[in-house]
Amino acid sequence: MNTEHAVLTCSSCGLEADHELRYTGRLLHSTRCTSCDHVVRHDQRDLYTSYLRDLEHRVASKPRRLARAATREPWSFARGLPRAMLRQPGKLLEEIWTLWRR
Amino acid sequence: MALVLLAAGQGSRVGHETNKVFLPLAGRRVLTWSLDSTQRLPGLARTVVVLQDDDRVHADVILHREARGREVTLVRGGDTRHGSELNALRALASSIRGGQVDVVVIHDAARPLAAPRMFTQVADAARLLGGALPVLDQDGLVYDDGAPVRSRLVTVQTPQAFHAAPLLDAYEQAARAGFIGSDTAACVEQFSDLRVHCLPGDAGNIKITFPEDLFLAERLLARAHWRLS
Repeated sequence: MNTEHAVLTCSSCGLEADHELRYTGRLLHSTRCTSCDHVVRHDQRDLYTSYLRDLEHRVASKPRRLARAATREPWSFARGLPRAMLRQPGKLLEEIWTLWRR
Repeated sequence: MALVLLAAGQGSRVGHETNKVFLPLAGRRVLTWSLDSTQRLPGLARTVVVLQDDDRVHADVILHREARGREVTLVRGGDTRHGSELNALRALASSIRGGQVDVVVIHDAARPLAAPRMFTQVADAARLLGGALPVLDQDGLVYDDGAPVRSRLVTVQTPQAFHAAPLLDAYEQAARAGFIGSDTAACVEQFSDLRVHCLPGDAGNIKITFPEDLFLAERLLARAHWRLS
């Protein structure tokens, strides 16, 4: 799961405060105001459906994205490919685990 | 025509937070969606992105990855929105004085959902009339006693567009006078003869302010691009 921090206005405490933003795949999973701990997140069922659609699109568009990367920067693409391939199963499992344990 | 994307923020960050225009949003960054909307803008000669120095490296990486081939000039942001606009206009000054840029379109990069037609509409209107900005009417407001608010109240959005040379002159005059406007139109009204015209805004052209805005923007963008449920 990727985590980012950004200053946003909290809809609960009204302060412009640091928010922790957690992502699953390309989707924003939840946000937490570090000032008042107010959390905003997807409804669970909605998130499952969205995640599956997102995953489907990511898998379907992968060949095109790989081809584009290979054309643009063949050398760095070739160098990074083995590591990227090894990382994918773990990345996917982590995403599913994140969804499951909510 | 030139496009100015304001991405310098207001300086409320204290350290490790990401500038919200660099946040991931539906597979890309908030900033990239704005660049995408203006990719095919007719007659676009220059694109300027205004950033704080701390964000420059981050911006380079994102532009290289997500907006490859797009020629973008990075300009240092000011202490205020007005200062950022002045820096952007000064970066465009030679193109404006040389006649390559007739209209400047100014857009807040934290509004990733502005439709391409909105940019075209404000630019066309500015070319014809001097200046143009999108507004949304705030109907249905009442006072405490229930009496309706009779004066017309609107919320102002971006993109906004103006004749380039008078806009640059207005900002240079404002700088000499020590004037700091709250938005572009305030400076234009004070220091130029340009008439600013209002065009219908778009309720979907949200500015990323609250966390909920990110969820909404993600949903709208993803739905449009890969049929998210």
